[in-house]
Amino acid sequence: MKNFLRAAMIGIWATGAMAHSPLDRTSPANEATVAEMPTEVLMDFKGDIRLTRVSITHADKHSMDMDLGEQTSFTQEFTLPMHDMGAGVYVIEWRGLGADGHALKGTFSFTVE
Amino acid sequence: MPDAFGLVAIVTKFALYLGVLTATGTVMATLLFRLDRTRGLAGAFAVLGLVATVLAFSLRGANLTGDVSGMTDPEMLALLWSTPVGTALLLRLAGLSLLIAGLFMGRAGPWVAVPGGVIAIWSFNHVGHVSGRDTTLLDAALTVHLLAVAFWIGVLTPLKRLASSSTTRAIAADVGHRFGVIASVTVPALIVMGVCMGYQLVGSFPALTGTGYGQALILKALLVGALLGLAAANKLRFIPALRMGDPDAATHLSKSISVEWLIILAVLGTTAALTTNLTLPT
Repeated sequence: MKNFLRAAMIGIWATGAMAHSPLDRTSPANEATVAEMPTEVLMDFKGDIRLTRVSITHADKHSMDMDLGEQTSFTQEFTLPMHDMGAGVYVIEWRGLGADGHALKGTFSFTVE
Repeated sequence: MPDAFGLVAIVTKFALYLGVLTATGTVMATLLFRLDRTRGLAGAFAVLGLVATVLAFSLRGANLTGDVSGMTDPEMLALLWSTPVGTALLLRLAGLSLLIAGLFMGRAGPWVAVPGGVIAIWSFNHVGHVSGRDTTLLDAALTVHLLAVAFWIGVLTPLKRLASSSTTRAIAADVGHRFGVIASVTVPALIVMGVCMGYQLVGSFPALTGTGYGQALILKALLVGALLGLAAANKLRFIPALRMGDPDAATHLSKSISVEWLIILAVLGTTAALTTNLTLPT
């Protein structure tokens, strides 16, 4: 019984990290390598969402929050302007609220050569 | 492993379930069995439910910003208010306030307190995995399931209190017997509704055994199975013995209720993890 409970709890925590990530596609794509810095990133969700926070981390060093002042409605597709911080890996962490009240979050990354 | 916010969210959800269900169940049992001295019990759990309601709402704000500032960020809280989360907050605050008001209204009080509790329980239809399915049948199943759970939880502490005193053992036997009669209808309803919801939400046997959500449901079902064993012992052995005047039966019943409480806390904890941190199988 103890072993079953332990296994069940590990299963619960292990899948918890995947909870609620409805991002359908991004541009650049997740883990893509691009030759030039894109001027903007596109985030396409499976359902309507209101973005509440998006942060970019460049090469594990510089991190900044993107201005979401223009994003004031629930929608599926978001285009956010990018700041060129040079070559390297860009990690984008996003958080939002689904129209049904579910909190959503996720991460994707791409590399600029 | 969930982060610190995830763990606090699970604990808050656990307190919310415990507060709303115990407060509502206590006033339901008070009304049905004409119990005395339950105001403090119902009031304490209703206040716990109120605090957990506000904290859970505020924590959702933190979830939107990723830090503690979201808990008091007016923009985030206003955003949440505009969704079904806001409706659930309103129903819980109104329902639990009504329940508490009913506790101070004398003989007519339970007729105000019970509807208040039902409103608070109904709020669970507006958020969570069942609300996402948008089917009236599932909404009804969840409400019946939660009302049956609340009623079961609500009778435990008053029954234990009655059984612990030699002067009220006869009343305990009577309440236990009458609860057993009603539970022979409400407990099967609770199980049937729980199985229906589980089937609708999980959808397949591989999803039941191969996902964290399904495994948590299995854990919950095992705990409920243990609970049913204790309930059967109460109904078939201890309550009949208590009705025959056996003083040892009161001790056994009291211990059995203590263990029931522990298992119920484990069930509510599992449910809190299930609804807070796990995604439905797709």
